[in-house]
Amino acid sequence: MKLTIQHQERYSRGELLLRTLFGWIYILIPHVFILMFVSLWGAILQFAAFWVILFTGRYPQSMFEFQVGLMKWSLRVNARMYNVSDGYPAFGINSTDENTDLVVPYPEKVNRGLMLIRLFFGIFYVYLPHMFILIFRAWFVGILTFLAWWIVLFTAKYPDFMFDWVTGQIRWQLRVSLYMMYMTDTYPPFTGDELPDEV
Amino acid sequence: MDYHPLPQPDQIETRVKEDAMGAYFMMFATAAMGLPLPILNLVAAIIYYYVNRDKGRFVQFHTLQSLYSQIPVTLLNSGLVVWTIVNFARDLDFFGFYWGYLVMVATANLVYFIFSIVGAVKARKGVFYYFLFFGKLAYHQVYRIRPERDQSTFSNRPPRQ
Repeated sequence: MKLTIQHQERYSRGELLLRTLFGWIYILIPHVFILMFVSLWGAILQFAAFWVILFTGRYPQSMFEFQVGLMKWSLRVNARMYNVSDGYPAFGINSTDENTDLVVPYPEKVNRGLMLIRLFFGIFYVYLPHMFILIFRAWFVGILTFLAWWIVLFTAKYPDFMFDWVTGQIRWQLRVSLYMMYMTDTYPPFTGDELPDEV
Repeated sequence: MDYHPLPQPDQIETRVKEDAMGAYFMMFATAAMGLPLPILNLVAAIIYYYVNRDKGRFVQFHTLQSLYSQIPVTLLNSGLVVWTIVNFARDLDFFGFYWGYLVMVATANLVYFIFSIVGAVKARKGVFYYFLFFGKLAYHQVYRIRPERDQSTFSNRPPRQ
């Protein structure tokens, strides 16, 4: 998969303040409200996809594209909430965004044995180790986001290493989600960095 | 009455076959949500139909057949859920008629489950599989050639030359 969040030359201080004060009203509430219902549909499709994969060994392409679209939508909202992107996130599964992008290659085959292992033991060998690190990482990213907020406010620039940590957090979480949703058979690496084959 | 010709399995794209197959898995919607509300299966089937009906007649047929067959099962299941809740709420006894109805609903679900699985497998192979009554109904609705509308009934017309 390839996750891209555009590191802008300059960030709008006005938008930063607006998002901080009213972002929950004009971004979070409308998006989360709709995303909640769309995610329920996503859960139903995911459940259906499980059975389809079990019988055929293939993730139905339409369902796969829906899940990727849902992830893109969440990514657009997350990028604004972490203040790594300006602008208003577009609504919709098929919408695009000039600041963020997510490309997930469609797997022609999904390993059914591995899928069952993930279903029954995924919590132990995927969630536990990754979440253990991601929770601590999230605290650090929270501190960085707070510091970056002040830096952006005074300089209109988002420091490189802070930006990389924040995008790394999102990327890492997405990789775990993709693996646990049977959208890839590649075990998620313990890093938020871009892998050589993703660049 | 005339009908559109039916496509053969090798004329249908894999993606279309998969979309048609997905319709039958809407029977798991309630299980996916983890809520004991049978109506969710029907709602999911309706949403799936409206989302996918533009993907061709093959998909439309299977989604519609799945949707129609979902209706009686949903009604039966809803009846059972309501009956059970009322009995518990009013502290009533579960007498023989209730158990008879329960067995009937369980049997109906089992039959529906088997038919749906067979339908899903057939759809994946690009084959038409007709459920009793609902299959014919869906086929008729999707593949029937509708007569052209009489031009005189159109209200909107291009400007006069």
